[in-house]
This record gives sequence, C-alpha cells and structure tokens, in this order.
Amino acid sequence: MKKEDLIPAEEICIRYEVEHQFVSSLSEIGIIEIITIEDAEYVHCDYLGDFEKMIRLHRDLDINLEGLEAINHLLKRIRELQKDNRRLKNRLGLYE
Amino acid sequence: MEFIDYYKLLELDKSASQADIKKAYRRLARKYHPDLNPDDKAAQARFQQINEAHEVLSDPEKRKKYDEYGKDWKHADQFEEARRQQAASGGGFGGGFGGGGQSYSYSGSFDEDTFSDFFEQMFGGRARARGSHRGGHFKGQDYNAELQLRLSEVYRSQKHTLTVNGKNIRLTIPAGVENGQTIKIRGHGGPGVQGGPKGDLYITFNIINNTNFRREKENLYSTEEIDLTTAVLGGEIHVRTFDGKVKLKVKPGTQNGARVKLSGKGFPKYKKENQFGDLYITYKVKTPEHLTAKQRELFEELKKSGL
Repeated sequence: MKKEDLIPAEEICIRYEVEHQFVSSLSEIGIIEIITIEDAEYVHCDYLGDFEKMIRLHRDLDINLEGLEAINHLLKRIRELQKDNRRLKNRLGLYE
Repeated sequence: MEFIDYYKLLELDKSASQADIKKAYRRLARKYHPDLNPDDKAAQARFQQINEAHEVLSDPEKRKKYDEYGKDWKHADQFEEARRQQAASGGGFGGGFGGGGQSYSYSGSFDEDTFSDFFEQMFGGRARARGSHRGGHFKGQDYNAELQLRLSEVYRSQKHTLTVNGKNIRLTIPAGVENGQTIKIRGHGGPGVQGGPKGDLYITFNIINNTNFRREKENLYSTEEIDLTTAVLGGEIHVRTFDGKVKLKVKPGTQNGARVKLSGKGFPKYKKENQFGDLYITYKVKTPEHLTAKQRELFEELKKSGL
C-alpha cells in the first residue's frame, strides 16, 4: 500500500465537513476502513467513492447510520447480482 | 424549450405547503436517488428533474416567480424590462427578479449541467453544483463509457485513444479483458468540486465475438470435424488455435463428441503476462454420406464381421 494513496482522516473531516465520529462510525459498520500508522488515522483513496456516496445519502435523504449500513449491504448485493447476471449472459452466449 | 410543470413533477398541487413540498421531494428523492439506482440513467434524469423542481418550489421567491409567470415564462424578460423602465422612471415594483449573475445552489451532488434550459432561462445563470449542501470539497463526477471491441482485438494488449468530453485519453487495454468487464481509470472523470479530487473514468467493454471460438473467461472452445476412419483408426489432424494451427494426434476409437484439452492454447489471462487458458476441442465425427460401390462392399464386410 502506497503512502500517497492514504488520506489522513483529519483532512477528510475538514474537507467534507463531517465529524470524526461519522468517519469512525462508517468504519465500524465496514463501509470504509481506517488504517492507523504511528497513531495517525488514514483512509485509503479507494474508499473515497463509497465514502462520498454515504455522505450524499446521509445529507440528501436524511438517512441515519443504520440505514446507510443496510443500503450499503443491498448495493453490494445488487453489484454481485449484476456481476452474476453478466457472467451468466456470457455463459449463455456459449450455447447460442 | 418546453414549460416544465414542477408541481406535476413532485406530484403536488399548486396549493402545496412548504412541508408538503419537502415531504414529496424526500419521498421521490429516496426512490430515484442515483446512488440507490446504480447505472440507471432514467432514474438519474428523473432525480435531476425532481431536484430542479425542489430547488424552485422550496424557495419562496423562485416559487413566486414561477407561479406568477407559469406557462408565460417566455415573456418574463419582457415583464422584467417593463418593470425596470418603470422603476427608472420613478415608479416601482418592489422586489423584482434575481439578477442574471446570481448563482443558485441545489442539493444534488452530480455534474454542473443538471438543470434544464427552462430553469436557466427562467431563473438566470447556470445552477452551480456544490456537491455538498455545506460547500464541501467533493470528488468530481465519475464518468462511464462503453468501448466495443472484437474478440480478436483483445487477444493482445492494445493501445487505444478515447475521447471523453472532448479530451483524448490514451490507454492500454490489457489482453484478456472480458465482455462486460469494467475498468477504472483514476482521475479521468469530472473536475473536483471546490478543490476536491477529479472523478474516475469507468470503461465497460462490450466484446463482439468475430471468431469461431467460444470463450469462457480464459478458456476457448471449438469444434473440429474428423473423418470416420481417423476416429476409428486414430491419426493426425491439424486444428485451428486462436493464433495459428497445431498438429494433433487423434486416439484410435475416438467417439463423436469426445473432447480434448490443449493446455495453454486458450485466451490470455487478464493481467497475467504470458499465461493462457486452455483450448477445448470437441470432435465431430463426419459420417460419409456417399459411398462408392467398393466402400459400400467393405462396410458390408465390416458389418458381417460383427462391427
């Protein structure tokens, strides 16, 4: 893991104007991962997209953390099903 | 440019209170929010319309203007001009319109061109996406693109130049990408909002099979015809592989539909240099249809011998 891909959690809180508690809670429910290096907390930039999605849902739709957890789980399921669907379509192509 | 009925969009009537508007917006936003409807362009378009309707109706000033001119919005500029002249000559209409340079914000978090021309014309100035209601620094919008390639093209790594929003992006497509696979190119999406990082570009491959091979991941499948005598007695045949031909020994007594595996003669494994899948060949034994008298006689003899 490259250090330049890690964003300090503190910076995230400032840039996105969220409480540190919000970032920690998203980490607790497994939506993002906080990496601790020498007592400093970081978030990998790959999580940025999901993180922003959660902020949007939280702010646009007033969804609380429990709701975000459920939505995140269901969105993951949708992505898996879409992937399965694509794989099955590809396999079906073998018999066409 | 069509008149847009914002009340209809939010499924409200004109007498709706601010609480009704908020409630309707929340209800519809939950249904059509793009984050809850991945890859659904219709939902995204609907959400943008809902956002626009909410932007106007939830702001008492904009709502007043919208209600005042309604379907006559095209004449709003003329009315405004008349007001201005009256004000200059000492008369006065209190209030007036929002200036052309005034910028409005909305609660969506998508690209900047999300409001209709109708909105722009009526309320002046392009709405600016803040990305956040609180003016945060957001990552730019992710772009999605589809790239159609032929199966023969993805057998080897390819350099392509894509034009996304007028910008040329050169990229190397690794050999072995799959149909429907999406790759992410970091930082080639929309510009960040208020200093946020750029969005990403997602490219989904649509691979058209222009060959006689069938592909499943890194394995290839094909059918080869062999004649009856080769199937019975065994022999050597030449079979097609994806990039040439190979000589193959056929075992005596090969059955119709028998399958052989040619290890490493399949499709390249994605992002694994010099690693290939396997090629599976199914034999189709060709039964002779037209026999000479001599051949018929020999088959009769075989039959008599108990074959």
